[in-house]
Amino acid sequence: MKKGWVKMFAASTVALLALTGCGPTSSGTSSSSKSNKSRGSLLVWEDKDKSSGIKDAVSKFEKENNVKIKVVEKTYADQLKQLRLDGPAGTGPDVITIPGDQIGTAVTEGLLKELKVSKKTQSIYTDSAMESQIVDGKVYGLPKAVESTVLFYNKKLVSEKDLPQTTEEWYKFSKEERTRGKYGLLALWDQIYYAQGVFSGYGGYIFGKKSSGAYNPKDIGLNNSGAIEAANYVSKFYKDGLFPKGILGDKGINVLDSLFTEGKAAAVISGPWNFDVYKKAGIDYGVVKLPKLANGKPMSSFIGVKSYNVSTYSKNVALAEKFVKFVSNANNSKKRYEVTNEVPAIKSLVNSAAVKSDVNAEAVAKQSQNAELTPNITEMDQVWTPINNALQVVDTGKATAKNALNSAVSQINSAIKANGKK
Amino acid sequence: MHSIKRNKNIRLFGTYLLLAIVSITIFYPLAWTIGASFNKGNSLVSTTLIPKNPTFDHYIALTKTSGTFYYFQWFLNSLKISVVTMVLSVILVSITAYAFSRFRFRGRKNGLIMFLLLQMIPQFSALIALFVMAQMLHLVNSHFLLILIYVGGQIPMNTYLMKGYIDSIPISLDESARLDGASRTRIFLQILAPLAKPMISVVAMNGFTGPLGDFALSSVILRDPKSYTLPIGLYNLINDKMGASYTTFAAGAILISLPVAIVFILLQKNFVSGLTEGGTKG
Amino acid sequence: MEKSKSRDRSHARIAGLLSIIPGVGQLYNKQIIKGIAFLVVALLYITGFWNLFNMGFWGLFTLGTEVPRDNSIFLLAEGLIAFLILCIGLLFYGLNLRDAFKNGEKIDMGQHPENFINSVKSLFDTSYPYLLISPGLLLLIFTVIFPILFSFALAFTNYDLYHTAPAHLANWVGLETFKQIFTVDIWRSTFFDVLGWTVIWTLVASTLSVAIGIFMAIVVHQKDLKFKRLWRTILVLPWAVPGFVTILIFAGMFNDSFGAVNTVILHALGLHAVSWMTTASWTKIALLFIQSWLGFPYIFVVTTGVLQSIPEDLYEAAIMDGATAWEKFRKITLPFILNQMAPIIITQYTFNFNNFNIIYLFNNGGPAVPNSTAGGTDILVSWIYKLTMSSNQYALAAALTILLSIFVIAIALWQFKRTNSFKEG
Repeated sequence: MKKGWVKMFAASTVALLALTGCGPTSSGTSSSSKSNKSRGSLLVWEDKDKSSGIKDAVSKFEKENNVKIKVVEKTYADQLKQLRLDGPAGTGPDVITIPGDQIGTAVTEGLLKELKVSKKTQSIYTDSAMESQIVDGKVYGLPKAVESTVLFYNKKLVSEKDLPQTTEEWYKFSKEERTRGKYGLLALWDQIYYAQGVFSGYGGYIFGKKSSGAYNPKDIGLNNSGAIEAANYVSKFYKDGLFPKGILGDKGINVLDSLFTEGKAAAVISGPWNFDVYKKAGIDYGVVKLPKLANGKPMSSFIGVKSYNVSTYSKNVALAEKFVKFVSNANNSKKRYEVTNEVPAIKSLVNSAAVKSDVNAEAVAKQSQNAELTPNITEMDQVWTPINNALQVVDTGKATAKNALNSAVSQINSAIKANGKK
Repeated sequence: MHSIKRNKNIRLFGTYLLLAIVSITIFYPLAWTIGASFNKGNSLVSTTLIPKNPTFDHYIALTKTSGTFYYFQWFLNSLKISVVTMVLSVILVSITAYAFSRFRFRGRKNGLIMFLLLQMIPQFSALIALFVMAQMLHLVNSHFLLILIYVGGQIPMNTYLMKGYIDSIPISLDESARLDGASRTRIFLQILAPLAKPMISVVAMNGFTGPLGDFALSSVILRDPKSYTLPIGLYNLINDKMGASYTTFAAGAILISLPVAIVFILLQKNFVSGLTEGGTKG
Repeated sequence: MEKSKSRDRSHARIAGLLSIIPGVGQLYNKQIIKGIAFLVVALLYITGFWNLFNMGFWGLFTLGTEVPRDNSIFLLAEGLIAFLILCIGLLFYGLNLRDAFKNGEKIDMGQHPENFINSVKSLFDTSYPYLLISPGLLLLIFTVIFPILFSFALAFTNYDLYHTAPAHLANWVGLETFKQIFTVDIWRSTFFDVLGWTVIWTLVASTLSVAIGIFMAIVVHQKDLKFKRLWRTILVLPWAVPGFVTILIFAGMFNDSFGAVNTVILHALGLHAVSWMTTASWTKIALLFIQSWLGFPYIFVVTTGVLQSIPEDLYEAAIMDGATAWEKFRKITLPFILNQMAPIIITQYTFNFNNFNIIYLFNNGGPAVPNSTAGGTDILVSWIYKLTMSSNQYALAAALTILLSIFVIAIALWQFKRTNSFKEG
């Protein structure tokens, strides 16, 4: 009884499926991503709390080009992550602000639009800042500001003339402070972003360079003898109780900031993002370049470059490119510097009296001479988590530096290999 | 006789001691949060249970909106989403459970197994899918979509619980009502639903607290700070790499916890007595 | 008898055949309104969804051919939606065939098919339960089943950072990702570590909550205890405060150097500070404590209800037999509670298996442990979340989701077979 209609159902289903199966050959042409000509508005993602710096430039650009610009603030380190989600949705921005070390990844993913920037325009920016915007000879953005970690010290707890000059001196100083229940120098040396300064001085490195000057992802120097020495040196501060365990891990940065702003730590290694924060907390602080290492070499640091870039999802690429060039020109960079105090990446500005007389900016500029660019190749993405884990494990004494770093490097290598297959 | 009495006293003393210890364990973190919200500074480093220099700063900070901070907007968003999710879950879960409990239809058994399995696979293991869906429907930032997703997630487990509960209500009640000429919809509304009240309040509670505890799903769907819910907002408050404020978080947490806890405790009486009533029927 | 019947099924056959175009069979059966309605619906369905099917199935097979026009992920999603809608369509298509066939049969047997109004009525009658479940089911299909299907499909692609829109397309790679999980040493060892901890976590955390909840309920249930309502209110508090708030508070309190647990409580007890956040095993203990704190009130409330419903006469009989308090508990109270609460207890276990919030919010799955790509306290769901959201290893995360699901489903079915609910259904 039942079987009759079931059979029929099956037969006609197959027939129907066959019909649908041959349809989709000619498809796709109707859907296109080119809906140009929606001229007239731009969405700009600016760094958090920094939109005041481009206010004037924005209104000027709006007037000159008869367009509307909407500026939304988002933490610059997260903007790329958000662009991945918002871009395809059509709710994404035209212009974003991202750290230079994310450029390589972003270009691999095709998220950034190539910009046509003349050699002359390129030459107004500091070399390393400009270099961070270039992938395979193509320019993908213009630098907005450079930053580097520096040493902040609390003038109430340590005077400028008594300031320890080397990490060894700091080690002794911290030991004394500990006897009084306070902390001397604090740093987030469980993260490669900060620990790199030490690593580099001892001969460790993230990626070696090819003769062409490009990074060589096959040459990782995070487990060479220098790196191991550096990791051991760093872990001493934790093991001897000079750094509290509470500043380890994800939330460590907040604890470190609090210790400094509450006057419980004499000095911290941190970045320009804290200039304002510390001031608002009422700390009378000084800023100098990082101390020398025990082996006499200067402590290095990563130069972070913040840049304006154009999203490939932008419907108004030409206008967005124009805006990026406009907002990053010498004039607007100067204005921005005056409002936000972020160290600009314009050569003429760096040497100008305004920057020279600003002790904060001066310290960043000085440290930058010992600093190096964060590698901007895609492979860098695979480095952070394994190496940070390794550093944490070493600092908490869960593994020896040698084992942890070897394991981290083999993880990085296998991740790079797995991803690089295609 | 004496020893019985003494035994009883020891037992009671032990009980009170135990309850006191448990109460302290429960109160301590809560009291600590309240203390933190009145402490100066931003972090837990120098936070003490009883603040040395009490301040209302953090509560005042909550009222100040900025480009990324809209505490009271988040508060309203969360309340709205939770209430709507609760109402929709109760409706959909009850009627679905009614069907599964009282009717024998083709696919019933497979449906039940499917529900059982679906409740075990976490919805948010499919975050990308949900976001892609939001984009295709142009419903990014939409509270409506988020509510539907929450309700969908509530269905399998709660239907299962509710179905079990309705099963325990004697079918003779339905039958006698039917003899009196009541329709199936009426039987459900006037006989079963009132009897299932205890389980309905459990489902309602699940529907209400579910969205209040989620930030994984919501942070994928809600991209605009203004449309955030409290969990996302508060989470960002302490997880921000720069400018995190543990103490403001504590203040914000208290403002949301107080009303929820009060409502909860007021409802709790029904909850317990309801469950009792239901239990004896089973 | 049977043979003669099959000979005059001509109407049924013809009607069934004709309704390959929906509605025509019904027309043949002289159900005019119904037939037209079917035809219209079918036409609307085909014209309305034709584009979706066209694009969807093409996309599902190819995952796109051209950048930046095609976005593999969107094509995959569209394809799956097309597939789901097609399934729903086929279901109704089948019902249409059946309807034509059945009504044809009626004619064969000399009856008249029902008129339109009556058939609507009888439709309402026979499909009443379907009507009840359809809104919930529909919602379930699109908000739960579709995402899960999507995730499953993703596991067989190579979608990751390097195969993502707008510059690249993803491709179908079959079981490649699974092979990677089981052949690359670090992935395999991490997977089994995480799975192991997930199982331990689920069992211990849930059992603790359940045991403490039942125990406290019995303690408060003692007849001669005073202030019962007060105690009950206090014991429910942890449930009443939103969980994510409490977890974040605890995260602060357990800070190694500055948290209140170390600086106040352990200090007052004269104990050494414990590295709660930087030693995996201590973090695990802290997590178990917090989850018990969070989880027991629910069980407590339900048990309290159940306790009040235990018939007195059960105890009376036991007292007659001279049973001790412990025997009463073991022979009467406990079995009664467990029997009544079985489903609620089971949900505790499934809840903790997927308890992402506590793991992620407390210490982000950390601390770091040597030789692992996951954190020391990551459970499967939090690991999957991190792979998706921070390392963009979408395909890998999806493959792990499948493995997790297989694991869970196997246990569920096993459990399901053992309990009565299967037979009863």
